[in-house]
Amino acid sequence: MRTRVVLLAVALLAFLLPLAWTALASFGVVPDNSSRPPSWAGSFSLDRFGEVGVAEPAFWQELATSTASAGLAALVTIAVSYPAAFALARSRSRTQSLVAPAFVVLASLPAMCYVIPLSDLMRRAHLIDTFAGIVLSEAAVTAPLAVYVLHGAFRQLSVEWEEAAVLDGAGLWRTLLRIVLPLVAPSVVATALVVFVIDWNLLLVPLVLTSGEIKTVPVAMSDFFTFERELDWPTAAAALAVSLAPVALLVGLFHRALQRFALEAIRPESSDE
Amino acid sequence: MRLSRRDRLILFAPLTVLLAGWLVGPASLGLVATFTTYSPVGSAIRFVALDNYVGVLRDPQFSAAARNIVLFTVVAVPLEVVAGFGIAYLLREPLRGRAALRVLLLLPWLISPIGSGVMWHFLLGPTNGIVNFVLGWLGATATSPLGDLRLALPVVIVVEVWRLAPFAAFLLLPGLSAIPRERWDDARLSGASWFRQIVDVAMPSVRPLLITITVLLTGLALGSFDVVLILTGGGPGLSTLTPALYSYAAAFETNEWPVGAASAWLIAAAVLLVGFIYIWLSADRDST
Repeated sequence: MRTRVVLLAVALLAFLLPLAWTALASFGVVPDNSSRPPSWAGSFSLDRFGEVGVAEPAFWQELATSTASAGLAALVTIAVSYPAAFALARSRSRTQSLVAPAFVVLASLPAMCYVIPLSDLMRRAHLIDTFAGIVLSEAAVTAPLAVYVLHGAFRQLSVEWEEAAVLDGAGLWRTLLRIVLPLVAPSVVATALVVFVIDWNLLLVPLVLTSGEIKTVPVAMSDFFTFERELDWPTAAAALAVSLAPVALLVGLFHRALQRFALEAIRPESSDE
Repeated sequence: MRLSRRDRLILFAPLTVLLAGWLVGPASLGLVATFTTYSPVGSAIRFVALDNYVGVLRDPQFSAAARNIVLFTVVAVPLEVVAGFGIAYLLREPLRGRAALRVLLLLPWLISPIGSGVMWHFLLGPTNGIVNFVLGWLGATATSPLGDLRLALPVVIVVEVWRLAPFAAFLLLPGLSAIPRERWDDARLSGASWFRQIVDVAMPSVRPLLITITVLLTGLALGSFDVVLILTGGGPGLSTLTPALYSYAAAFETNEWPVGAASAWLIAAAVLLVGFIYIWLSADRDST
């Protein structure tokens, strides 16, 4: 037990110290490594958050774009994955054992493998630099993972409920939305959250689909640092803190729902052997 | 519930449209284009068979990138899985404050790869960084290891492990917590070491999950782009160049679209190879 606590403390330190360092800097408290021994300089203030908007005038606009596009993309992902995952979970087990892992492979396919032709196609379809273009492309990135996860949730669900609904004369969609959805809601919420985080942090997809008209936060950050517009550390830290805050808040609020996120359906122990 | 053929078609239709239009379709058209001289700005299209691929494979820059990414993947993915397993193992049993710990230990994954790159750029830098703060107490200073030919790649690996091990832990935790307590107790009472407990108790339950996580992390690693772009831009020299950076530069910066598309498909080929092994293993597992 004691070893466990010590090891957890070490893990916390290793994984959170960099973030604590950043949080301090965002409030203007930075180390001074040139003095001997190194000391802390600067006093606590909120000024740096204001300076983000000076250094990158469109930052708050970009934050809004990121929020809206990731939110909508997550919705689209869930909307298209939910029926497909259900159909997959109710197909023959031989089909499932081939098709379900294929979705994992699609989910692991790096965006670089298809964004070069995607950006060309989007230009031809006049979807470059549009909100719709970003939303649909991001939704496609995360849909395979969502299908795989939701498929697992449906598999764990007993078929009695839906069969009872069908016997009562409910149609396919009615059964899916009124009977099945409430039963798998925790998994759907958890999947939507994970998908939102992934979409929120995507760089390559929005990068190649935009040329400045519309920008998400990761694209703005990469512009900042690849075009040598040097930002000082406290202002960069403030920008980082602001862009982490929304997802951290969401995850904190919904941490109970997130515990339901099971990548692989947890099989009942009896059927294990 | 038995679904008719028509039901199944309807249920799959929205997903099919999205993936065909925005993922599988572009990828396939891209594959066709790599056998030609097609480029969005060019006019004449000629069939050139494998010329684009031969060009990429003969380019010493791509060879360096391929070598880097193999090294990166082979080192980073096992570290991510092992560290993630370690965290999940520590959190598997109830503990005061466990809910808070779970959220806190997921924070590194919530930062974007770009954000993580920006952060580590400063943390490893001389003036405000952690490394020099600690070294300063010992009376020493160091320049950023990201500028060092031999250290740059290992540092990039550490930064990615820092970001992704928490994600692996998050994915592993439900599987580990689902193992009935009695099994651990039985193993402990029979005097099994912690290592034997992991092998005999945990592994049989979480092996499929571990394999799936490894596949996802391997794909992420093989496509590494964001974090390298910010931390090193592929340098110094070619020491951290990745195939994804190479493809991006060719397609969008140096106007060699076919080269970029072809090298991107080489990444896809590597991921698909891993993927086919995975599908084969999964199908095998389910049929027994």
